[in-house]
Amino acid sequence: MAEREIVAGAIGQWRQAARTRAGTPRGGAGGRARLRLGVGAGLLGVLVLAAIVVPWLWPASEQLFDYTQVRLPPSGEHVFGTDQAGRDLFVRTLAGLRVSLLVAAICAVGAITLGTAVGAVAGFLGGWPDRVLMRLLDTVNAVPHLLLGIVIVALYRGSLTAVIVSIVVTHWTTVARIVRAEVLSLRRRPFVDAAISGGATRGHILRRHILPAVAGQAALSAVLVLPHAVWHETALSFLGLGLPPHLASIGNILSDARSELLLGGWWNVAFPSVLLVLTTLATAGIAATLRDRLVPRRRSELAL
Amino acid sequence: MTDTRVTTTSAEDAATSAGTRQPASALTVDRLSVRFLLGRKGKAGVVHAATDVSLRLRRGRVLALVGESGCGKSVLTSALLGLLPANAQTRGRALLHGPGDDLDLCTAPERSMSRQVRGRRIGLVPQSAASHLTPVRTARAQLAETVRQLRGTTLRGTTLRGAASRGDVDGLAERAGLSPAALDAYPHELSGGMAQRVGFALALAGEPDVLLADEPTTGLDRVLVDHVTDGLAAAAAEGTAVLLITHDLAAARRVADDAAVMYAGRIVEAGPAGEVFADPWHPYTRGLLGALPDGGFEPIPGHPPELTDVPGGCAFCARVPDPPGPPCNGDPEPVAVGGRLIAGHVPC
Amino acid sequence: MLSATDLVVGYRRGRPVLDGVDIELHPGATVGLAGPSGCGKSTLAAVLALLLEPWSGSVTLDGRPVRRFRHRVSAAERTSIGVVFQQPRLAVDPRWTLDAVVRAPLVASKRRDDGIVAELTEAVGLTRELLGRRPHEVSDGQLQRACLARALVLRPRYLICDEMTSMVDASTTALLVHLVRSVAAAGTGVLAVSHDDALLDAWADDVVRWR
Repeated sequence: MAEREIVAGAIGQWRQAARTRAGTPRGGAGGRARLRLGVGAGLLGVLVLAAIVVPWLWPASEQLFDYTQVRLPPSGEHVFGTDQAGRDLFVRTLAGLRVSLLVAAICAVGAITLGTAVGAVAGFLGGWPDRVLMRLLDTVNAVPHLLLGIVIVALYRGSLTAVIVSIVVTHWTTVARIVRAEVLSLRRRPFVDAAISGGATRGHILRRHILPAVAGQAALSAVLVLPHAVWHETALSFLGLGLPPHLASIGNILSDARSELLLGGWWNVAFPSVLLVLTTLATAGIAATLRDRLVPRRRSELAL
Repeated sequence: MTDTRVTTTSAEDAATSAGTRQPASALTVDRLSVRFLLGRKGKAGVVHAATDVSLRLRRGRVLALVGESGCGKSVLTSALLGLLPANAQTRGRALLHGPGDDLDLCTAPERSMSRQVRGRRIGLVPQSAASHLTPVRTARAQLAETVRQLRGTTLRGTTLRGAASRGDVDGLAERAGLSPAALDAYPHELSGGMAQRVGFALALAGEPDVLLADEPTTGLDRVLVDHVTDGLAAAAAEGTAVLLITHDLAAARRVADDAAVMYAGRIVEAGPAGEVFADPWHPYTRGLLGALPDGGFEPIPGHPPELTDVPGGCAFCARVPDPPGPPCNGDPEPVAVGGRLIAGHVPC
Repeated sequence: MLSATDLVVGYRRGRPVLDGVDIELHPGATVGLAGPSGCGKSTLAAVLALLLEPWSGSVTLDGRPVRRFRHRVSAAERTSIGVVFQQPRLAVDPRWTLDAVVRAPLVASKRRDDGIVAELTEAVGLTRELLGRRPHEVSDGQLQRACLARALVLRPRYLICDEMTSMVDASTTALLVHLVRSVAAAGTGVLAVSHDDALLDAWADDVVRWR
């Protein structure tokens, strides 16, 4: 099988095959992908661990107002410095990261559940359910996401649920589109005909053939949604519309830090921002590797 | 080691020693073995895709290489075109005979394979050609591009593209048995048989000395199979050396001048096609012919071995113990007997 | 009897692939259908397998007219017709083992395995080891053996073989056809679609040739 596919007729495909022969995609990129996955997963692991452990070790310092210690630059005692209320920024930033990640994870799970459900139903049923759901999706997409988020959050000020709902509502559409496209191509395959002929109901086909086949894509889009959700939450909180101000989140901290920046307190902005960027890069690295893995592979076909 | 064994074991060598006049060789495969290492450095297993395969392709003749699917025959096209994946290892030689010197296809650098060999000296007729065509361009555009690329000359690394007149392209299509009007269709508008003929025209575009046809008839109906095989025969009549790799014995019988039967990565029987198909010596060849609707319609029991786990000795006797016919001497290496090659089951 | 009368079927409006076709399958008999590619053989096979709704004409299954197609037909009716497709690789879910593929109709219709799986897998020559593999780990021929076992696992009264042997080698062809002939001898009505005249002459009781 595989060898036959490698032997391509047209010249363009020969070139491609020649690259395969040179070994780049298999050996080199495989190693690079593993490295990328390792670095991404390691980085994310360290960040998540720190976000859990640090606020747990010093539970008070996050909210502890210590007016003898205001606006201190980074030092051995306060590695990220302190803010205008004398709160330790190291603990506070990591506590903020914990909140942000938790909110983002809930949103990612919510978005892929809703997106997969809508995409699978629309793609599998086709006809009018498909048209109605897709027009709904277009309607959501037609409004700028942040604006829609702001409207939802503004209606229910300061509620955690409102933030989560606003992110889910604006992020499920991508997942739904990906899943629908996948389902559309799957449901015309002869193996679906074979299942129908074997007496399977549509629900059975959806559960046993279609959903397992799109699970990989859906999981991938969850990882892709994660950094988006972090940024979305940060943006809402930065605008003062997100999480309640007493809850430390990256967005709230950056919002407070705005005024400090003018007073020379660079550390108020720098450390939370760096953590935000690192989190994004780590998840993006994992997502990219997972996407490559989803490309159908032919490794074992050579055993024919 | 027996005395009867010859180093370059190919049927034609034996025939030459018998004093028959033979046309010039275009490609000699000499004890070629191909292994695929699975996992890191082959820890997950080694695929014995081809073992000590020797063949000789001669100008003006069609050599049919037959066997069940998964016997390793298709890997030969990849090996001869230098398109094996990175985890493959080869041993032995495959000499492409040129006007000047011979080129070993197993060791030739990628540069000379891509600039001199593929398409120019060796043409490939692929299986299911439809999947080898770009869906967004007409067959004519793709054929014309190929002609321009292949007929251009390379000067100090720069390719001077040749011109492809409408007549050239139409002529190629006609040689491949395709009406020039059909060339203006997009690939999805072509039937399987027409797409296959476009693939054939693409293979002829570079005027190659050698044509490799890898299962060109799979999934085609009998009339189209006949068209494809007749096309190969016509190419051979013009002096091209043709290797037809197929599991379709009816197609092989129709056009082959020489035949080689492959089982579990080895050639088990070879010789002039008429003799091999009329009077098969090896029980595997007999089994293949006996499975045809007009040959008895009896399946060969069992399955071919996994190429990761090929039994030693005569691999066919491991599948069907004590087949009828002359007893097996257990030697997997073919020996020359009366102008033919036979492994293990030498007739008395 | 599975029959179709005056069928008109197509995929694009105004361009019927079949126009006024009649066919009858009787229990225990094998009808061969020969013709070149693109003449509508597979379309007829899909209609008789109740997988494609005709534009007009009627399909009758054991005396009862079939009015709905695909999943809208009752499970009892559609499982009384087994289908084997041309390309085994497309006809199985790439994630499933061959064993799961063969058992799928039993699972879908919530029936118990009364030993039929073991009987059929032995008849098609699939070993326990092969049954544990996934489609990409076996050859087309081995996969088609599993597809035939799947089509027969519910003991259908009719079997539609749509170019069943065009992707497999001669030896596997002989094995599959022998098995189909034995189920036909036991009372199953078979439609054998193929482009290979020699094969149909050796296989079918009578052969319809198109064009």
